[in-house]
Amino acid sequence: MLAPLITETEADLILKSQQGDRNAFGELVRHYYSRLIHVIYRMCGDAALAEDAAQEAFLRAWLHISSFRLGEPLRNWLYRIAVNAALDILRRRTEESAEDENLQMIPEQAMSPEEALIEKESTALLQQAVKSLPEAARSVLVLREYGELSYQEIASVLDIPIGTVMSRLNYARDRLREALKDQMLQAENEYV
Amino acid sequence: MCEEAHALLNAYLDGELRGWRLRELEGHLESCAVCRNELKELQTVSNLLRSAPTPTFLPAGKFAARLTLQLPRRSLRDPLPKPPSWTWWLVPAGLLGAWFFLRTVFTLATAITAADATGLLGQSSAWFNGSQPQALWYLAVNSLFGSQVSAAQQSTLSLFNQVNTFGGDLLEGFLWQAMIVLLYWVWLAAWWLHRAPRPLELTAAG
Repeated sequence: MLAPLITETEADLILKSQQGDRNAFGELVRHYYSRLIHVIYRMCGDAALAEDAAQEAFLRAWLHISSFRLGEPLRNWLYRIAVNAALDILRRRTEESAEDENLQMIPEQAMSPEEALIEKESTALLQQAVKSLPEAARSVLVLREYGELSYQEIASVLDIPIGTVMSRLNYARDRLREALKDQMLQAENEYV
Repeated sequence: MCEEAHALLNAYLDGELRGWRLRELEGHLESCAVCRNELKELQTVSNLLRSAPTPTFLPAGKFAARLTLQLPRRSLRDPLPKPPSWTWWLVPAGLLGAWFFLRTVFTLATAITAADATGLLGQSSAWFNGSQPQALWYLAVNSLFGSQVSAAQQSTLSLFNQVNTFGGDLLEGFLWQAMIVLLYWVWLAAWWLHRAPRPLELTAAG
């Protein structure tokens, strides 16, 4: 998937933001927030943390936007900041954060209590499996699965060679394949 | 082959394989049930990840409104205007032009000198080559011992003078070109530094 080309309006908003226009920057935030928050959430595995990290990421973007080069995809630049912000906030995070807090926020769509419980458990298992990955492998996996970046874009965002992207992704998916065997079996049965 | 295929299955799944690698892997998948199964499992992992439910986050508009209120004050000075990328190419283009100019001048000069020396130009060279270029030592010898030098010695001295001035021209030409090459390398290094992605100083912010 190709990165979206920078549009004239976006370029205009970036230029204005570089000159200190908060409203223009707010427009950019509005546009990119939902993509970034999902990537950050998968990095953190916690909704409250993800919102804090998203805020930190956009604040950093605001402070550094004058160094952004027009012509590059803003999305990739923001992803880079977002991944770093998520990792930083995770490192700072204290152990007392309740693991299940975020799961209660997941909307339950017309499920029986039993189904909802199973859904919660499997989501928690999945989230735990992703979180247990080393940071480097998790960043690549999340950018691929949730950021929908190409290998080349991931390499550029994380500043690593494309071969490293491939090996980290192989490692991450292999680990998940092991960790989620039961869920996979269940999912395969559902698809059949 | 399975080991090679294993390393490429994710790239295949993500649509990142092209050309002969893609064809080779597809050929292998047709004949290898183990790799097909592995691919299916990787696909399932990907599906599970993508279909995992997400919490409800703050709406984008609300988040943006809240954030803009918290944005710290930043210098409102206009960022320094960055030169457009095509200006980078003015430097090598200019250097290349200078190099061509020098090459042309030196080649023409050498050709004319050679033609003049062999008498091909006849009298027509007199207008641009009024006098033979003379080295300092040649002038000194002539002024000090001019009257005592025989015709044979004079022609030997003249030959040395010509070799000297010709060598000097060659050296001069070489030095000019070496300087252009050096400037080109400096430009190349600067261009690489400019192009290389600079890591963001993220931890310092916020």
